Amino acid sequence: MAREIYAYKCRKCGHLHYPFRMVCKECRQNGFFEFDIVPLPKKGKLLTFTKVYNLPAEFEVPTLGLGIVELENGLRITGQLEVDNPKMGMAVQGEVKVVRQGAYDKYYGMVFTAA
Amino acid sequence: MLSEGRRIMRNVYVVGIGITSFTRLEYPVSEIAAYPSMMALNDAGITDVDHLYVANMGSARINHQTALASAVVDSLSLTPAGAAVVENGPASGASAIKAGFAAVASGLHDVVLVSGAERMREVNNLEATDFIATLTHPLAEYIYGVTLPSHAAMFTRLYMEKYGVTERHLAMVAVKNQNNAMLNEFAHLHQPITLEGILDSPEAMTNNPYVAEPLRFFDACPVSDGGAAVILVSEDVAKTIDRPPIRLAGIGQATDTHAVHEREEPTDLLAVRRAAAKSLEMAGLTPQDVDVAELHDAFTILEIVESEEVGFFPKGEGHIALEKGQTALDGSLPINPSGGLKGKGHPVGATGVAQAHEIVTQLRGEAGDRQVNGARVGFTCNFGGFGNNVVCLTFVRED
Amino acid sequence: MAVDLERILRPEDHPLEPFEAKYMMLASGEHMVIRQIDRDEIPDVLPYLEPLLHVERDYYDVVCARIYSELLAHYRYRAQDEYVLIAQIEGELAAVVNGRQVSGDLGMSLHTIALRRGLRVGAHAFAAKMEYHIDILGHKEVLVVAESPIGFRRWMIEYQLDKRFETPHELGGVPSWSLTKELFDRARSTLVVGRRPVPPELLAKGGSQDPATVGSTHAPGRLVGGHQVHVRPDGDRPHCAA
Repeated sequence: MAREIYAYKCRKCGHLHYPFRMVCKECRQNGFFEFDIVPLPKKGKLLTFTKVYNLPAEFEVPTLGLGIVELENGLRITGQLEVDNPKMGMAVQGEVKVVRQGAYDKYYGMVFTAA
Repeated sequence: MLSEGRRIMRNVYVVGIGITSFTRLEYPVSEIAAYPSMMALNDAGITDVDHLYVANMGSARINHQTALASAVVDSLSLTPAGAAVVENGPASGASAIKAGFAAVASGLHDVVLVSGAERMREVNNLEATDFIATLTHPLAEYIYGVTLPSHAAMFTRLYMEKYGVTERHLAMVAVKNQNNAMLNEFAHLHQPITLEGILDSPEAMTNNPYVAEPLRFFDACPVSDGGAAVILVSEDVAKTIDRPPIRLAGIGQATDTHAVHEREEPTDLLAVRRAAAKSLEMAGLTPQDVDVAELHDAFTILEIVESEEVGFFPKGEGHIALEKGQTALDGSLPINPSGGLKGKGHPVGATGVAQAHEIVTQLRGEAGDRQVNGARVGFTCNFGGFGNNVVCLTFVRED
Repeated sequence: MAVDLERILRPEDHPLEPFEAKYMMLASGEHMVIRQIDRDEIPDVLPYLEPLLHVERDYYDVVCARIYSELLAHYRYRAQDEYVLIAQIEGELAAVVNGRQVSGDLGMSLHTIALRRGLRVGAHAFAAKMEYHIDILGHKEVLVVAESPIGFRRWMIEYQLDKRFETPHELGGVPSWSLTKELFDRARSTLVVGRRPVPPELLAKGGSQDPATVGSTHAPGRLVGGHQVHVRPDGDRPHCAA
């Protein structure tokens, strides 16, 4: 079963949010948790990216690819990038995998590869 | 009296300033906050204050010290004056000044001491990087290993593509600011660098390696310890102190989305634009009235973009003004005469206060070799988060 | 008899290919020369290291104590197949690196100590050492350890060294890492930097500075460049009592 990352749809006005916020950014009319969850699409366009060299101690890799992707439904997401020669505007697709390993916890997030 | 509609505020003046060297300081963080405070009190000839605000971001996590302001107020023997810490990430300093300003302008207090301090080098570099990264969005950014350099790098790439900023422009900011820092005895870095050494020579890639592409080693500010302090007083108190009358004439603050990817326009720093506009408007001035500015160059790209967003240059042309030398110490609008965060260092909590310290020094005419001649209006931009919480200050000399 | 005893106590050195001096431009625009020194120049270097014996920050005291003893041992013929490279910026001593050949295939990197900070001097000097082991001496791998977190981040993480924890390093009890020829070739563009030959005017620079000021500000000491030997008042005895 593939894991999902969810966007939050305001029950009053339908505005989609990612990540979660308590109050709808568009109408500010919904009560707490008046959101429906909607899985984020996995395909999108790479807006910008970087390769980071100085990582926090938990990451045992020398470098890490990161990027901001504009998904098919217009929402944007920050994710890890496993692409050899990324280019701005390229098509990418995401999969939800472990992105960070704490002392006892695993954290899941979107990892993008070339589409 | 300054009035704006129904709002009536008293004028607020800066009468005392103090700063430590920005370097590695092996003292408790409370002392790093107290020492420049002591200098500021001596500068103003004041021995009592009504309230103390301490700007600091990491004492709880890095230095195992919470309630820092309570420690500092006693260390300075200023009890029973009130005291509190103001934490707003890298914008803690200007936020603390805003709190002090509000206290004096409203009439609640007459004399407020604002101190900023940070002791980052109690932990190693990897820890410090992670500590700063905790200001990012916990679920949408932090878990991915996003750090502030990575934010700046992704933003830089967008700026390069849209406006034609190049690695050379970034390197020019680094060279300008590190060379300015040579004239600042409190600066962290006293190492002149050249464009050839960091960019053109065959060994440039070893001298100046990538830290987060396309940002390189010299594009990022050093990790520093340090403290700075200013004293804010009402007009009546200022009149009794023999110091040039420097008024804190404008304050502006604005916030933006927490997750950087949610910003409306990826190449905009809207919070900077709004905060700067509010600050100048409150002072009754325009960007063209500013003689000298301290902008938040934690990364070289930020100096360029902030210079546009605050209104000094048109959007997308900050790097052209830089090329022409307009922002150099001898240019038409010197930016970061102190060396900026890049050259003088960035003890996170202290920075906003240190920027104010530099501007007041400049407006007083006491900046020595790095003096901007005839400076009467100064401006600071303290950039919190990655542009999601920005506070701008406008200072005016009134004689 | 003294001569026979010395022959027993003294390890026999194998001939090592010399390191040809090279130079590079630093971020400051200054030029730095990295060159190999022979035993006779060691007494000139030691006074510049001494002040760092008392600097706790970043493990300078441990590294300095160890490299000082290694240099002294090399000078007094009590270490085998050791080499020493120094880095000079316009004549001033900026870094000292050393290591050993264990066998024709295996090198042992000993220490890197930078007297001038903020200009990646240590990075250049370490890279020169690795070039010496792999490209010039022809070793198949070099064992490396780090005393300080800075060293660890710059070398183990940046160059992705192989773990060799089961192999003890000469520095005793610490987990070893290895730079193999393969890793070296992959990082060649960042590891082999600098230009040869060194222009004569760079080699000839010299000056004078009191070694006692090293360490207090980490200002560089000065050493006479090239192959001139600095004669000290008490002749050629090492400055530390045996």
